[in-house]
Parts: sequence; C-alpha cells; structure tokens
Amino acid sequence: MATFKKIRHILYPDLTMTLALYTGLESCKELRKSVMEGTVVASLLKASMIVDPFQVIVAANKAVHLHQTNNMTTKNVHSEILYCLSPSKNISESFRSFGAADDDNSVFVVIVDDTEDKTLQRISDILGHSPTDVDAVASLFDTELIKKAYKLTEEELSVYPVLDALVSRIAAKEIITTGKGKS
Amino acid sequence: MAVLQGAEAKLYVGDFYGRPCIMKERFVKNYRHPTLDKALTNQRIKSEVRANLRCKISGIQTPTIFMVNFETNSIYMEEIQDAVTVRQHINTVQASEPNLSSVCEQLKPLAEVIGQTLAKMHTNNIIHGDLTTSNMLLEGDPKDLSLFLIDFGLSSFEASAEDKGVDLYVLERAFLSSHPNSQDVFDCILAAYKNQMKDKSASKEILSKLDEIRLRGRKRTMVG
Repeated sequence: MATFKKIRHILYPDLTMTLALYTGLESCKELRKSVMEGTVVASLLKASMIVDPFQVIVAANKAVHLHQTNNMTTKNVHSEILYCLSPSKNISESFRSFGAADDDNSVFVVIVDDTEDKTLQRISDILGHSPTDVDAVASLFDTELIKKAYKLTEEELSVYPVLDALVSRIAAKEIITTGKGKS
Repeated sequence: MAVLQGAEAKLYVGDFYGRPCIMKERFVKNYRHPTLDKALTNQRIKSEVRANLRCKISGIQTPTIFMVNFETNSIYMEEIQDAVTVRQHINTVQASEPNLSSVCEQLKPLAEVIGQTLAKMHTNNIIHGDLTTSNMLLEGDPKDLSLFLIDFGLSSFEASAEDKGVDLYVLERAFLSSHPNSQDVFDCILAAYKNQMKDKSASKEILSKLDEIRLRGRKRTMVG
C-alpha cells in the first residue's frame, strides 16, 4: 500500500485527516474538474508551496477546528484548509497561490473524514497514479516562492528552520493580520 | 497532564502530531466579572501570540506556535526540550563557584547574549512586559547560549523610551531579587544592550529613563 498519512484530529479523535502526495502527473486538470463539480470532496494543494507534511497538518488541524466551532471563513472544511494554509486574507488569492493548478505535475491532497479511503481511491483512479510518500514533498518545494508568499525575513531564516516560521504564521494568521497593534 | 500552574495559566505537556508540545491554558478567574475576564484573557492570548511571532520575525528564538484555541483559551506551542531557565542556570553557577568575580566572569557571555537579544527586541518596539530570568530558556548545553524568550502574555508594542526603560527595570528588580550579588552581571547585560542598539541616541535615552525609573519606581507620578 502506498504511503499516505491518515491521522486523527487532536481535539476531535473521531475525525480523521488524510494526507496524500501524487507526483509525476501529466496534469491535474481532470481531478480539479471533479473537485469543482463536487463529485470529489477534497482539498488540492500546490506541492511546491509545502516544505513538510507538518505544515499541512497544522493548517488542516486548524481548519477542522474552525469547522467544528462554526468559525470558518470559507464555505466548507476543504476550502478552509487551503485558506488556512495561506497567509493571505483574500480567499481567491489564497486559492490562486496555494491551490493546485491544471498544469501542475504534482498535487498534495487532504481529505477530511474519508471513510474507508473511498475518496482517496477515486482520486488515485482519476489520476491513474498511486500516492507517493508524503515526506517526498520536501524535495518539491520552491523556497523563493514560499519566502515571498509568507514574507519570511532573512533574520529569522538565519536562526531557525523555514518550517517553524511557516507553522507559527499559519497558527496565528487571524491574530497577526487584524491590523491591531501598530506596525 | 498538568506540569505547572501559575497565577494566570496551567501548562500541560503532550504531543502535537508527533512534536513535543506545551499547552498553555488560561483559566477562568471567578473573582473577575465574566465579561471582563473574557476580554482580558482573549487580549492576553492575542498579545502573547503576536509578540511571540514578531520576535521570531526579528530573529529572536521563541517557541513555535502550533495552534490557538479560543474556545478553551489555550495556546499549543513547541516544547523546548532539554532546556533550563536562565534562573536555574545562574543558580547552578553561583552554587558551584564561591568566588564572586569568577561567577561574573562565567556568566558574562550569557549576559551579553541577553543584552543583545533585548536590544533586538526593543529595536523592533516589542515590550515583553514580564522580563525575568525564569522567562528565558537556554536550550541544550547552557554554554551554547541558545536563548529563547517565553511568556509574552503581558507584552505590548511601544516605541517609547519610557516603556523600554520600565521593561529593563522590571528585569533588574527580578534579577537582583532572584540572584543576590549579581549587580555586575546585570551591568553586563546593560552594556551589551547599549552596544547592540544601533541608534545611539535611543539607547542613551532608554538608559537615562532607566535611571529615572529606578528613583521613582515603575509607575509614573501622576500630576493633577
């Protein structure tokens, strides 16, 4: 069996989050179409914006929590994962920079509460691929794009890993972007 | 499992999807009006997270934030493993070394790092609000001087020399009361602080404020 990750939410152990990475694809067009039409319910993330599966776990963990407490910004939990991953408050901008595009050769998929892995199976069928090891995402990311999107500073990158900087920003997004507290 | 309880919050250690994690839960205070309690708790969580992140962005080590839960007023953050507080470290050094001047000699490198870190923090207009040697951690071997600042619950963002001076004054009081005979070490911190500040007129103003605050205490005299 391929190496996707299925984990239980830390606050809601009944809910699971499935993480899977697909690489070496021709395109994501068909999969994206199915998601847009609603026949596949999943979150499709741009693999080049992800440095480590933990980055996605933090975003998914947060999105599920916001869903459970009725505090979501977007319409459903899967779009909320995308929005949580992005540092931007603008939903369509978040989708543009962090969602998979038609001509991407890889895609990072997150599925909340996938009973019996049915959705994952359907995605594999549509793509004609099995998922690869999620940790392989570490070799796909684009440092420059990530630095720019999350506005990472040289000072911080000299002191600790990129992942730490991203994770804190994702967890604290709504707190730091309210514009309160001057400059 | 609860590991520590302070006046404001309880700390629990655990695991956050495979990472060592500390959960800091601010509990409800029954002696405060519920509305005020909620507003204060909410505001402290926000300022804690905000200052933590702003320190990070300025290149100061702080615990990574994993999650903020406003329903339970808790922050999930990285547990700095294998760390001692600066307070513990100074106590250990003082206990193992009877000679006062060699204690100062041994603690000098640490004092310099503390001074530089605080200067960096103040240059970015971050006021910690509760600087003590217990709110500074040394990760790994204390000789490596890998300093983390923690507990930003009382922090604020101020550009004024007054607030920065008070921040230093709070540290000085905490420092001298937890570590007797350590005035020399604290002076080292101030010297490094002054050196690190690029804006010399700012550091001069802050340090002269500190002198003024020493005479009158932390609260400004109210006139009128």
